[in-house]
Amino acid sequence: MDMLRISGLRKRFGDKEVLRGLDLTVPENSIFGFIGQNGAGKTTTMKSVLGLLKADGGEILVNGERVVYGQTATNRHIGYLPDVPEFYSFMTAPEYLDFCGAIGGMDKRETSKRRDELLELVGLREETHRVGGFSRGMKQRLGIAQALLARPKLLICDEPTSALDPLGRKEILDILLAVREQTTVLFSTHILTDVERICTDVAFLHGGTVRVQGTLGEIKSRFGQDEYLLETDSEAHLTAITGAFPAVRRGTGNQLICSVKDTPAFEVLGFVSAHRIPLVKWERVEPTLETMFMEVIES
Amino acid sequence: MKTLLAFLKKELTEQLRSGRVLFLGILFVLFGIMNPAVAKLTPWLMEQLADTLAESGMTVTEVNITAMDSWVQFFKNIPMALIAFVLLESSIFTKEYRSGTLILSLTKGLERYKVVAAKSTVLILLWSVGYWLCYAITYAYNAYYWDNDIAKSLPHSALVWWVFGLWVISLTVLFSTLCTANTGVLVGTGGVVLVSTVLGMIPKVSKFLPTLLTDGNSLIYGQKSPKDYTAALVITGATAVAALTVSIVRFNKKQL
Repeated sequence: MDMLRISGLRKRFGDKEVLRGLDLTVPENSIFGFIGQNGAGKTTTMKSVLGLLKADGGEILVNGERVVYGQTATNRHIGYLPDVPEFYSFMTAPEYLDFCGAIGGMDKRETSKRRDELLELVGLREETHRVGGFSRGMKQRLGIAQALLARPKLLICDEPTSALDPLGRKEILDILLAVREQTTVLFSTHILTDVERICTDVAFLHGGTVRVQGTLGEIKSRFGQDEYLLETDSEAHLTAITGAFPAVRRGTGNQLICSVKDTPAFEVLGFVSAHRIPLVKWERVEPTLETMFMEVIES
Repeated sequence: MKTLLAFLKKELTEQLRSGRVLFLGILFVLFGIMNPAVAKLTPWLMEQLADTLAESGMTVTEVNITAMDSWVQFFKNIPMALIAFVLLESSIFTKEYRSGTLILSLTKGLERYKVVAAKSTVLILLWSVGYWLCYAITYAYNAYYWDNDIAKSLPHSALVWWVFGLWVISLTVLFSTLCTANTGVLVGTGGVVLVSTVLGMIPKVSKFLPTLLTDGNSLIYGQKSPKDYTAALVITGATAVAALTVSIVRFNKKQL
């Protein structure tokens, strides 16, 4: 079952067409990384899912229900964390969560129980100050707590780690990993290492459409150039190999990179074995998200 | 209903913790005391000024002060209290648009009309408590020093002014849903009141206009009777209800 399905989403701001028929499918229980440059339309997409922006065309289904702009009933399935969450500064963190529970129509006792659990999870249990005095990281953590309060089926986080220091980022990523059991997570980001750390699925947004989407494994194998890295102990051996296989490239130090499409790996291994070249390392080169992303936006 | 009450509680807490309730409390109590105080001090002031006035050829005879003078002060001062009230509360919606705090509430399933309903209720409540407190203080002092019976149709004159305040609040809410900055709210609300004031100069239409309700003096002096205000009261009530209805419709479609 798909938790979120977007088809043909279009949105224009003045003469700038931000989304040009965007299609996106978020499977249940995934941690979905929504990747794009600044200004690519990530926030516009998310706000459309929440019914906060009126799309010019297309359809959005959350948990199988159609999203309507304005009075958005589908929001009962969603927990939302905006990029810079703003709370009522005159409230304390527990007061804010109680308020969220009350306006969400939650039972009072359930709210108190959930409030304490979540404050514990995000590390704000001991915090007694009003939200007005919170740091950015603390606000982000309270933001996750409020988003998870009503046990949503889909948690939408808009660049949750972009404005944080490394420690703050790690805390947020750990929390997102921890809640995976409870909900589907869709988060937008341009920090690719975050995606590699926690995501099961990814989509690359560029030029107003989703260029590539799938599980991290699928995408890696699709973009993987099938390259192997070979390392030996001396320059002479390197020269012997490059002499026999001109397509093999030099890497750093005593390393060589051979691309399977130019040079079959087994032929290289055969050569190594026949000439008794001592191998220090032989490994498959995993494509990084960064190289894949660059490839997508350059294509 | 529960969710509406929860948002209402948030609004009241905000008004309390931001110090607005305290400020408005002091303001309305101060005006309440000032009305009889100014009336009471008038003879003394005239006495102090007697010499200066005599030089310019005016003689001060005995000044006779009644509750009437205090009520005239009341109708002179209450517009200032209303202006202060609107200035203070004009950001009740726009502040939330600017900070984005409403987005989290609305994405939790809070129905949009409840935001308009809760904020309007709080404004009406604050205005009503403040206004009638001011009235009660002036009334009590007047009763102590003089006699309130001298003012004709006093409750009615106070009532129509209170309704005028409610009308201005409905405009504030309406412009809060139409505009995104509180300058727009102030210009819109002030503009409509100004138009009504200017139109009020045309005798034929003046009796239908909300600004007629601010003419409490004509009632207490008996120059007009309560039934002269009926048409204006009905129209004011109807336009206030219309303004709040449009606010809800408009807010439902507002991009936040």
